[in-house]
Amino acid sequence: MGDTPVGDALMRIWMYEARLLMRSRLAAFALILMAVLSIAAVIAGLWEVASQRAAIARIAPAQADDIGAVADWIDKAKDPGSAAYYSFHPTWDAPSPLAFAAIGMRDVAPYILRVRALGLEAQIYDGDVYNAELALPGRFDFAFVLVFLGPLFVIALFHDLVSGEREAGRARMLAALPGGSRHIIWRRGMLRLALLSTTLAAPFVAGAIWSGADGVATLTIVAVAIAYLAFWAAITTLVSWFGRSSVANAAMLAAIWLMTALIAPTLAHVAINQTIPVDQGAEIVLAQREQVNRAWDIPREETMRQFYAAHPEWADSPPLPATFHYKWYFAFHQVGDEAVAAKVRAYRAGLERRSQAAAALGWILPSVGVQAILTRLAGTDLIAQLDYQDRVRAYHRRLRNFYYAYMFRDRPFGKADFGKAPRFSQD
Amino acid sequence: MPTNPPPSIVLEDVILAYGEHRVLDGLSLSVAPGSIYALLGGNGAGKSTTLSALLGFAKPESGTILVSGIDPAIAPDDARRQVAYLPENVALYEHLSAVENSDYLLALSGSPRSRDTIITALDAAGLQERAWDQRLGGFSKGMRQKVAIAVALLREVPVLLLDEPTSGLDPRATGDFNRLAIAVRDRGTAILMVTHDLLSAIDIADRIGFLDAGRIAEEVEAAGPDRFDIRALHARFAGPVAV
Repeated sequence: MGDTPVGDALMRIWMYEARLLMRSRLAAFALILMAVLSIAAVIAGLWEVASQRAAIARIAPAQADDIGAVADWIDKAKDPGSAAYYSFHPTWDAPSPLAFAAIGMRDVAPYILRVRALGLEAQIYDGDVYNAELALPGRFDFAFVLVFLGPLFVIALFHDLVSGEREAGRARMLAALPGGSRHIIWRRGMLRLALLSTTLAAPFVAGAIWSGADGVATLTIVAVAIAYLAFWAAITTLVSWFGRSSVANAAMLAAIWLMTALIAPTLAHVAINQTIPVDQGAEIVLAQREQVNRAWDIPREETMRQFYAAHPEWADSPPLPATFHYKWYFAFHQVGDEAVAAKVRAYRAGLERRSQAAAALGWILPSVGVQAILTRLAGTDLIAQLDYQDRVRAYHRRLRNFYYAYMFRDRPFGKADFGKAPRFSQD
Repeated sequence: MPTNPPPSIVLEDVILAYGEHRVLDGLSLSVAPGSIYALLGGNGAGKSTTLSALLGFAKPESGTILVSGIDPAIAPDDARRQVAYLPENVALYEHLSAVENSDYLLALSGSPRSRDTIITALDAAGLQERAWDQRLGGFSKGMRQKVAIAVALLREVPVLLLDEPTSGLDPRATGDFNRLAIAVRDRGTAILMVTHDLLSAIDIADRIGFLDAGRIAEEVEAAGPDRFDIRALHARFAGPVAV
């Protein structure tokens, strides 16, 4: 019998495993670098979200200035058409508390849109031309560190887990101990995974607490992150078990990473885009503008007939005067919107089908799946973007009805009426 | 009437093959508690495979292998609890000191000991005091071996398996090792040593077996004040040399 309780042995083993890990320069460096990158990514994400929130917060005073600038002038003529034409109304998509972790679509799609009661389609897709440079690699955020860099750190820490003992000449001696080397490798792997997960997730959890994020969503992301790292740890350990050298393992794992995290998702997205063709938003803008411009070349009555047929609630409006009247102008804008409605529906359906295909891809390619889960929980994916568009459309309908009630009833629009205009709200 | 204790290591008519190649072909030997058996043989004679079989790494096709009465092919963990194994090149953890290595390996073996006990064992193994808390980075093979033997002593196992323990050691280190092996034997441990080093075997072994083509071709036992006939053994091991 030993002179120390056997129960103490397990604690000693964990202590020595930790000591061995921290005394290995590569491992210590990898863990420190992981922590630094994770902290940097969380700070960058929080910074970006704070700047988006600040931009949204600046809307109210800027809006008051804008309306103030046109209100005095409008008040003189009391013309509701001019009021509707010259006044912009802000909409915004405030970032969720977890948006800092996965900036997602917020990087490339507008989160502030100032709309007028004019044709919506030309306005809503105006920012639809993505910055290709940003869209390709994605922003440096927690999701990027987890999905793309996380596996590299797993490879750095795990590639020699088994082969390293063989190369150091200890494998046979360890295997000859009671319990063999499997327990040692398993324990060592668990420790590395735990430390890597902690260095990666701790800054994220701190950021989530700072942002006041929902606890369940935060823990779900932590669980997804650990599961993703564990997946890579399992692959790395498996590769490491096959008797090759550590260098050969590292090279093979780097190739697997390149294929599964970069090449395969890119090729899959190209395939999805080829299989599900979707027009660009800019094409809808062009089609809508063509329809709008066409209205100048056809009799005004034809436009009004079309408009009243679709919107009988305004059909009792007085006839158009011989001179220009804004209700005709706004009517042909709306007719223009409605002329491209089928294109808009097809565009949205196409985007949704692509999104579904990408989500299905996530079951095969973990990097895609994890990114999809993170952007969903952060409210920064395509679904969130389309949801924002829905809210803009609903608001625009209210805006149109508000101004139409003045234009189509020939009611004067005074300075005080600006205060009655519907206001956009996030919910 | 006193009876001889049963041997700690038993190999009886063991046949073991890797694929088509039969490495052990009817190997039989036994090592009693408190004795040293030196297994000599050329390259490919089956020395390392014998150790693998005793550790449960390789399973024989037929025959009996017992370590303290346990068949390592059936209960490898139980068998390994009875065995301390020192590979040819004792590789320990460079980032840990001699005391830390011992402490870690003892904990892994399920036999934790206090620092004082470990230091006593390192001292008994001949490791100088200044090396106790040094990291193993600069240790010689002999020093590493002393650490590993200290661990084996502290595990208090009945069987010690040594794989080429003196290869690469200078004469002084070999002498140190031999004294240590004898001390371990005198505690009642059965030692099986596979080696090329005939002189070391002659110095410490109680019995020497010559392994050839997977079986014991000849076995000699130490007897009398000279223990072994060195010339005869050398001729047997190395073959006649024309001068």
